Amino acid sequence: MTDDFILEVRNLKKYFKAGRPGWFSRAENFIHAVDDVSLQLKRGEVIALVGESGCGKSTLALTLMGLEEATEGSIFFEGIDITHANNAERKAFRQRIQMVFQDPYESLNPTQSIEEIVSEPLVVHGIAPNHEDRRERVRRALEDAGLKPADSYLHRFPHQLSGGQRQRVVIAGALVLEPHLLLADEPVSMLDVSIRAEIINLLADLRESRGISVIFITHDLGTVGYFADRVAVMYLGRIVEIGTMTEVLDNPQHPYTQALLSVIPVPNPRMRKKRVILQGETPNPIDLPTGCRFHPRCPVAFDACMTQDPQLIELSQTHRAACLLLKK
Amino acid sequence: MSRYRFLWKKIGWAIFTVLFVVVLNFFLFRVLPGDPVRSGTRDPRLKKDAQEALRIRFGLDKPVINCFETLNPIKVGDCAINPFETQFFIYLRNLTQGELGFSFHTNRPVAEVLGARLWNTLLLIGAGQILSIVIGMIFGILAAWKARTSIDYGALITGLVAWSLPTFWLGIILLFWGSNNGFPIGGKATPGTSSYPFFYQVGDILRHMILPTLTYTIVYMGEYLLVMRSSLLDVLAEDYILTAKAKGLTTFQILKDHALKNAMLPIVTIIAINLGFTVAGAIQIESVFSWPGLGGAVYEALERRDYPVLQGVFLLIAISVVLANLIADLTYSFLDPRVQAE
Amino acid sequence: MAIKAAELKPAVPSSPLSGFWRTFSKNRMGVVGLVMLVVAIVVAIFAPLISPYDPRTSKGLTSSDIYNAPSAEHWLGTDDAGKDVFSSFIYGSRVSLIVGFFAAFISIVIGGVIGIVAGFYGGRTENLLMRFTDLLLVIPDLPLIVVIVALTKPSLLNIIFVIGLLGWTTTARIVRSQTLAVKSRKFVLRARAIGAGNRHIILNHILPLVLPLLVVNAILVISLAILNESTLSFLGLGDPTAISWGQMLNFAFGRGAMSAGAWWALATPGFGIVWVVLSLTLLGHGLEQVLNPRLESHHLMPGRPTIQSEAEVKSEDRKRRKESPVLLDVRNLSVQFLNDGSVAQAVHNVSFQLHEGEMMGLVGESGCGKTTLIMALNRLLPAAGRISNGYVYFRGKDLASASEEELADVRWSGISIVFQGAMNALNPVRTVGDQIKEAIIKHIPTMPPGQLNERVVELLELVGIAAEHKNHFPHQYSGGMRQRAMIAMALSCNPEVVIADEPTTALDVMIQAQILELLDLLRKKLGLAVIFVTHDLGVVAEMCDSVLVMYGGVTAEFAEVDTIYNLPRHPYTQELLKAFPDLSQPEKRLISIPGYPPKLDALPPGCRFAPRCPLAFERCSTEMPRLHELGDGHLASCHLVEAS
Repeated sequence: MTDDFILEVRNLKKYFKAGRPGWFSRAENFIHAVDDVSLQLKRGEVIALVGESGCGKSTLALTLMGLEEATEGSIFFEGIDITHANNAERKAFRQRIQMVFQDPYESLNPTQSIEEIVSEPLVVHGIAPNHEDRRERVRRALEDAGLKPADSYLHRFPHQLSGGQRQRVVIAGALVLEPHLLLADEPVSMLDVSIRAEIINLLADLRESRGISVIFITHDLGTVGYFADRVAVMYLGRIVEIGTMTEVLDNPQHPYTQALLSVIPVPNPRMRKKRVILQGETPNPIDLPTGCRFHPRCPVAFDACMTQDPQLIELSQTHRAACLLLKK
Repeated sequence: MSRYRFLWKKIGWAIFTVLFVVVLNFFLFRVLPGDPVRSGTRDPRLKKDAQEALRIRFGLDKPVINCFETLNPIKVGDCAINPFETQFFIYLRNLTQGELGFSFHTNRPVAEVLGARLWNTLLLIGAGQILSIVIGMIFGILAAWKARTSIDYGALITGLVAWSLPTFWLGIILLFWGSNNGFPIGGKATPGTSSYPFFYQVGDILRHMILPTLTYTIVYMGEYLLVMRSSLLDVLAEDYILTAKAKGLTTFQILKDHALKNAMLPIVTIIAINLGFTVAGAIQIESVFSWPGLGGAVYEALERRDYPVLQGVFLLIAISVVLANLIADLTYSFLDPRVQAE
Repeated sequence: MAIKAAELKPAVPSSPLSGFWRTFSKNRMGVVGLVMLVVAIVVAIFAPLISPYDPRTSKGLTSSDIYNAPSAEHWLGTDDAGKDVFSSFIYGSRVSLIVGFFAAFISIVIGGVIGIVAGFYGGRTENLLMRFTDLLLVIPDLPLIVVIVALTKPSLLNIIFVIGLLGWTTTARIVRSQTLAVKSRKFVLRARAIGAGNRHIILNHILPLVLPLLVVNAILVISLAILNESTLSFLGLGDPTAISWGQMLNFAFGRGAMSAGAWWALATPGFGIVWVVLSLTLLGHGLEQVLNPRLESHHLMPGRPTIQSEAEVKSEDRKRRKESPVLLDVRNLSVQFLNDGSVAQAVHNVSFQLHEGEMMGLVGESGCGKTTLIMALNRLLPAAGRISNGYVYFRGKDLASASEEELADVRWSGISIVFQGAMNALNPVRTVGDQIKEAIIKHIPTMPPGQLNERVVELLELVGIAAEHKNHFPHQYSGGMRQRAMIAMALSCNPEVVIADEPTTALDVMIQAQILELLDLLRKKLGLAVIFVTHDLGVVAEMCDSVLVMYGGVTAEFAEVDTIYNLPRHPYTQELLKAFPDLSQPEKRLISIPGYPPKLDALPPGCRFAPRCPLAFERCSTEMPRLHELGDGHLASCHLVEAS
């Protein structure tokens, strides 16, 4: 493990038991939410994690944060193995990894003032026990998140703010501990279109000014086109393709990626393109298909796909995809 | 979980609850301070051997349970007491034979005393419940449909006031007014009419039922009204009502085919939860109107400190409520298709 | 980025507490209840001062004092021992209130702790605690209380404890379910992500949100405790040394008040109980309305009649954009919402024409009025809304002023709506097939049952749902399937116009593509005209023939799709396009529009977009721009466009 990487994930698996645990629970039906994911993130790098519902991207984020316990595999953060950290260790690394959630209307406790919300991380970690000192940090975080003048926001409550402002408060709360890595789980999908850009631009600026690394989870590739360095496409708990933004957008190799890109509507009627629309829905992550897990819906599947499970194949130094077609 | 597993789980739990009640019933009357014999007999100057004789008569000389220290009623061996000779075991054995002990007061079997009374209570509760449900629901529906109009506010206030009335007091007031206006002053039938023609007797009983049933209806109607109103208000604000309206259905059709079915589901739950309160109401109403039911039996047993009767009534009441709850639970699960998805 | 309008709200802190008080003071029921309760408490505290006699002594009373009717010396007469009823009544309040509050306090603390522990920690602990709670819940409490008190001492303390120790079950259940609900909310997850421990989360997040419910429940528990105490006393199990209202009734009832005709001895104590319990009930009900506000209206409340508020409606025939006939002709449609005297203009002067076979995209962000607009077409506005101007011509009639009967005919069979296929657009306790059938029966009542079933199956298969799902319930359908079912239902009566209201917003991108493809296919096959409402500019570009862009309730721009995207003239359209991601130019940095959409009850006087518009000048903030025609049916409401 090198110190170049701020985050290194190796063969991570997270399974959930299906069905409710009862006094007489029957055996082993597992939800394979995250099923063998490996990832490396450099300092100051931004990677977009793309996929539809059920692909495991949110579970992956929760597991990286330690909010879910990994079933198998390991996670290294700044060189330290945090996979099975105990409570104290967890609390320590949570100062340096922070998370931004999807729903700005639900992420904030309606009974807390903005000041209380943003200073909560400081209180929890016992940083800046002096009241004035704490308030100063809160001010700085609010201004870094674009809420100026900070003083006018301190005494307000969430219901008085718009969606975009609320999301900035969440980001301020994440910034106040000066983290090194930010996990953003669909941070703009619940905001109006005209406001999304300002949040994304904020994150881009923070990356420039503070060197924060970002894992940006989204189902909408278009929003991060200019912001992310790399893209990883997930399907049913696995990464099926990963590469730089240019590589994946211009030259997608996995049939799922190709289909996904072809379906995302482009706001230009002159560019109506040929769409590859997959039939059916994403299968149940409990009963995984045999062989390649994408084969039931794949437009170019052939015999071997039903029995062989493809691994990620290197197409270039940075570009990898898991498809049997690439072996040829 | 399949439907059957769900059913058996519910039934199993009900059986467990009944067993719990049975055991609780026993311990309540043995473990709580207060010697039943001394308080159960009228004469405090009873000589010691007379007390002893009474004790033996009611089986109170036997040990309560085997090995009290370990609270294990059926453990054999260590405590050198025959578990079959403990009061607890005798109690259980008697129960399975349908025997609930003997009344301190009349010396007759408790079961005999309670038999007829059960039906009287069911008659009164049955009539009262049906009326209160129907009236409560009708006004609740009306109130919700005409929300924020004077009809709504009127119904709401009526419901709230009705709910706040103490049952026994309402009974007293009605009885007071009624007895000065030609209504019978209590009981189930006019004394001496047991040999009269059948229809006369039925009419007589009905006349005696009017005031107690009225009391019952007024008090319980309040809750059904309030629950129906709030349930329907919630339902009518749901998206599928707008869909129905967009389809061109009339208000009446929407109420009938979409709203009511959904709004009535909580009522079933409330009926179940209310069963405990229903019993409380029965006790109060029967006491005031001297209605010969289980509730009245409680009242009389209290007056006379007739503990075996009290114990028997409590057991009977508790078990009935548990069973009724089970029925309501199962009914709800049949009505709501979403239920087994748990 | 300069934000032009002063959109920052005033700096007066509006904490939840002060907001609560303000709302509560407007709730008449709650305030009345509170006042009544305060009166009762004051009476109880100052009993010795208010009461003319001391009911605790029987000094100087003779048998001739029994059951005296109300008089000047005894305002409410005397009781069975000759004591003044009014004085006993005053003192009686003490016992009821004391027992009520203390017993309730015990119940609430026990119930609250059990509820939070069970809800928060879950697992075996929760199972055990809840099973125990359920056990006690089922056992009827009055008989149990009666038995226990009968077997132990009937003292006040005893009664308080027994009532308290048996009364916590409903509290525990309510607190537990609320704890569960709060525990799963995102801000708790965020607290954990920050590194907060269980204690911190319970104290700072769970407790503040459980408290309101607990308070409402507490009020209920207090009233039940008071009722229980009075019942116990009436049954003869009360503390004979304490004067309680129940006790007074026990004596009166058991000692011949009825036969003596002494109504004052019977009515008065009960009245006291009713006063206190009613005050608590009203207070509790009021609190609940404030803390859990229900929507002020529901869908079956009568609508408001349409008015024409503007003197003249422009009736010039717009030049036909296409050859095909016009199905829907909307002219100067305006919609208002009336709330407590204030009027919000949700839609203002919107006009468009929908041709046969055309798909028009209706684009706008939250608060722009697009949903209000389409609801107005079929007169499906909520109770507070009304059409305040304009006409909606369909099949030769003006729907805006049509009667309910005429509307019932047109709805669905002429214009139908595909609602967002969220869980609740379909009735959860009826099968999907049934709900489709219902629409058909309404408009084609003569179709025989066999044919009905066939038609339902035909419709389901048309949208790609296998016939066997006909008898399934909505919760058994996946999100994509539910949306398809909504489409099938919308087509069931062969409408001419279909309005699709954000049909793919909550769906995954691939399912969205499936649904869009389906819609397109059906439209072409069945010759429908479609209004496609969305905020997604990409989808509109993909599917639509023409586009209506709304902002702040007015038409910003209307044009053919190619024009909107490649030659937009309204600044809002231009800015919106810049803010919208475009995968064909991934490196292009997105530019957002500063500020926020206007509030409908505080609209700016001039152009509604002026506060956020990069090209605004003086006239824009004083004068509202007209809708200018730019040739070929291209409309834009902007002063800058006027010159051309």
